[in-house]
Amino acid sequence: MAYLRLISQRLVMTVLTLWGLATLVFVMIKLIPGDEAQVAAGPGASPEQVASVAKRLGLDMPVVQQYLNFLLRLLRGDLGTSVVSSKPVLTELAAVLPSTIELMILASIIGTLVAFPMALVAATYRGKAFDGITRIIAVTGGAMPAFWLALMLQFFFGNVWRITPISGQHSFGISSPNLTGMPTLDALLAGDMVGFLDAMAYLILPAFVFAIPFAAQVFRLLRASLLGVLASDMMLPVRAKGASTSRMVLRHALPNSLLPTVSLMGVLIGGMVGGAILVETVFARRGVGSFLANSVALKDTYAVLGAVMFVGIAVCLVNLVADVITLMLDPRIRGAQFRVGAK
Amino acid sequence: MTLVLPTAAPRRKANFTAYELTVFGVVAALFLLALIGPMIAPADIYTSNMLETLFPPSAEHWLGTDDQGRDIFWRLVAGSRLSLFATVLVVILYSIIGMIVATLATVGPRWVDELLMRITDIGLSLPGLVVSLGIATVLGPSLQSGIIALALTGWPMTARILRTTMRRTMEQPFVEGARILGVSRTRLMLKHVLPNSLDVLIVKWAGDISFTMLILAGLSFIGVGAQPPSPEWGAMISGARGYMSIAWWAVAAPGAAIVINAVAFALLADILQVRRDPSLQA
Amino acid sequence: MGVDTILTDGIVPAQLRQRPEALLQVDQLSIDIATRDANVRLVDNVSFGIGRGERVALVGESGSGKSVTAQALMRLNSRVKLSGRVQFDGKDLLSLSNSQMAAMRGQRMGMVFQDPMSSLDPLMTIGDQVAETLRIRGVSKREARQRALDVLDELKVERAAERLDSFPHEFSGGMRQRVVLAMALVGEPDLLIADEPTTALDVRVQERVLDLLDEISRRRSLAVLLITHDLGIVAGFADRVMVMYSGRIVEENEATLLFAEPQHPYTRGLLEAVPRADITVDRLRSIAGAPPAPGARPSGCTFHPRCDHAMAMCSSVEPGETITPLGARVRCHLYGAG
Repeated sequence: MAYLRLISQRLVMTVLTLWGLATLVFVMIKLIPGDEAQVAAGPGASPEQVASVAKRLGLDMPVVQQYLNFLLRLLRGDLGTSVVSSKPVLTELAAVLPSTIELMILASIIGTLVAFPMALVAATYRGKAFDGITRIIAVTGGAMPAFWLALMLQFFFGNVWRITPISGQHSFGISSPNLTGMPTLDALLAGDMVGFLDAMAYLILPAFVFAIPFAAQVFRLLRASLLGVLASDMMLPVRAKGASTSRMVLRHALPNSLLPTVSLMGVLIGGMVGGAILVETVFARRGVGSFLANSVALKDTYAVLGAVMFVGIAVCLVNLVADVITLMLDPRIRGAQFRVGAK
Repeated sequence: MTLVLPTAAPRRKANFTAYELTVFGVVAALFLLALIGPMIAPADIYTSNMLETLFPPSAEHWLGTDDQGRDIFWRLVAGSRLSLFATVLVVILYSIIGMIVATLATVGPRWVDELLMRITDIGLSLPGLVVSLGIATVLGPSLQSGIIALALTGWPMTARILRTTMRRTMEQPFVEGARILGVSRTRLMLKHVLPNSLDVLIVKWAGDISFTMLILAGLSFIGVGAQPPSPEWGAMISGARGYMSIAWWAVAAPGAAIVINAVAFALLADILQVRRDPSLQA
Repeated sequence: MGVDTILTDGIVPAQLRQRPEALLQVDQLSIDIATRDANVRLVDNVSFGIGRGERVALVGESGSGKSVTAQALMRLNSRVKLSGRVQFDGKDLLSLSNSQMAAMRGQRMGMVFQDPMSSLDPLMTIGDQVAETLRIRGVSKREARQRALDVLDELKVERAAERLDSFPHEFSGGMRQRVVLAMALVGEPDLLIADEPTTALDVRVQERVLDLLDEISRRRSLAVLLITHDLGIVAGFADRVMVMYSGRIVEENEATLLFAEPQHPYTRGLLEAVPRADITVDRLRSIAGAPPAPGARPSGCTFHPRCDHAMAMCSSVEPGETITPLGARVRCHLYGAG
């Protein structure tokens, strides 16, 4: 079963990656200057508190034992405890994660809707003015610092032109019951159109900040990939059949370019989680990124490392999903299970 | 039995278009500015002048002044060395790590290759910015921490690309020939394989500088990289953020400086890439 | 075999012979490509015709310009500049608009390519790829599928009905080449251009594919332009052979005559390179040296640096076209002043 084997290979790789990340985080914890128990208990902790934390974390044990305990705690979902809120990091992150997901989904949708048509047109009219201009726009869009873009958009759209709200997630007094943690979805579920549009207005600028570099990268890869397929031997027979350029692009080049593009989109969506640190902070949105940034600001090292672990897991899962989708799109791999089964 | 004989490929000369020359010129100018910037900037950009705070752009202060009354234009000029050189340093550092890993993977026994490439894969799938943030937090916030953190997280892509090219170069006839002639492995590596694999990296470097500059500025912006009052551009944005609503230019200008650099290097990377692979040409 | 030729009884010079009605007429076709530095002429002033149902082979080494010529006939390569005249069934192909040209492809002229491994879209089923030729013309899905099936049957693809929904990777090289052939034939063209159709296949499969092509061309009275570097596969197939060297046709004649009495030293070299069952040779003689790059052709006759018979004038004067008594069209100073 080639198909299942490839997927299980990816799974093993994901587990290995997470183990590598866990080890890295453990090493970082050990490298924190100063007394580890003191850091874990927080700057204001009493000697008794520090001692109890040291006991809980098993800091008196040999390092190997500590490492194993650390891995075991991770397996149980214990990402450590925030010194500031005294709550488990996982609980805090779970509460703000939907908000980040909402942002990433909208950003990916906008980015895809922009990048795909642009790349298709650019590849069809290769070498024409549109192609040249979009290429330079894409390079520029990909080279924008996200946090600066966020600040500038926020300032002009929010402060100067007053088109969008400046920061936050919904207007004061407009709030739907919290079911999913995503303000837009909650409003929709409650049937509250005003609330939905309000939450959308808050979401749109941050989503654009993510969508611009996302679209730029997807555009560049997709265009290059389309041109690659169009220049390949495969296209000569298609042309010889009498196919128009648009047919060649849409029916042949696009499906063949989808495989690398979906992989890249997985990587980029994973990367957005990192970018969220900057963008959510600027727009004062609840989310994984702003949690991380706050923890950094409050010098809550344990929370930072717990969140790093959490984001690492999230990114690996997004990549895994993208890999599996890629495998399913490819008949050479998808068909394998049936063929082998038939023999 | 057949008559398929090789034909000599016509030699290509390097003719550059006006657009390409412009990009090369801008990149060269940016390097020059980074080199001489701190020398030509006046000394008062490091000291407060409370009589001239938050002046908008004018003939005297081209890009206005910040909350300490310091001239933003000259701070940008002075900070260009920090921003660009720190970025270049990061790229150099992780390229060295990547080269060492790739070389070991190429010359070492199979299990070393296997192990190193697994580690590389793990590194590739981790979110660089987030891990760097963790490392920089542990090391304590400073520009050095940011540089170290990015150097430690940036190398896997270089290692992977280099290893692939090195493997391919190792199979080339001239390397095979040298090996038969008894040239030692190390010498072969240093004299033949590495230099022949480098042209792949040169294209990558331009793109890496663009990308790294953005991340480095991002780290400064969150507060784990360079700290105000440093004229590093990310730190300048971070410092000016609080009073952006009354002096937007104090945020816009350093950001624009980052964009100009990042775009210039990204365009350079694009040009170099198209030269290597003309099928991408518009 | 002497350089001078003998006019035997029963052999009529080509210009006097009854020619089939011309389907394709190429006049003074030149193909140029603009590189960064200069304009390079890939094919120089080539003229030839193909009659209805006639099978013509265009032979040459790689880089001789034969594939470029083949693609030019269908205007497949948009990066080269074509000049001269290409008439197909009375239409001037070079003056057609892009969409008019696209309408000719697949319908009037089909083409088969060298490598069946890379000629198919890996993500599309065999049936869809063959039917696409018809679907482009607005043929209904059902009918296109049925006709695709018919062609695959005609090409002796076993269990074709079951395999319409298979993907290319499930086919062997020989089967894929039949699929590629089916894509070219399903639109029932008048001319099939086959560019090295068997080169990537092993010898046994090669023969089978050629036999199929032979059979179908006779049944459908389909004109075929076979492009190859291998004179061995030409012998049993082509009515007429053109030999191309460095962007020019250096010799053209009826297949039987060309094999019996090759005129141009290059043709003779090519023939000596072909292993022949009827002649025992100790070793295969091949032509020394390599063909020139299109941008760096020698002066005079471009073959002179590799020619055993080169004379003083060969390096300076370009030979014109001569028709020898045997009916060969030759470009060589050995045959008159041209």
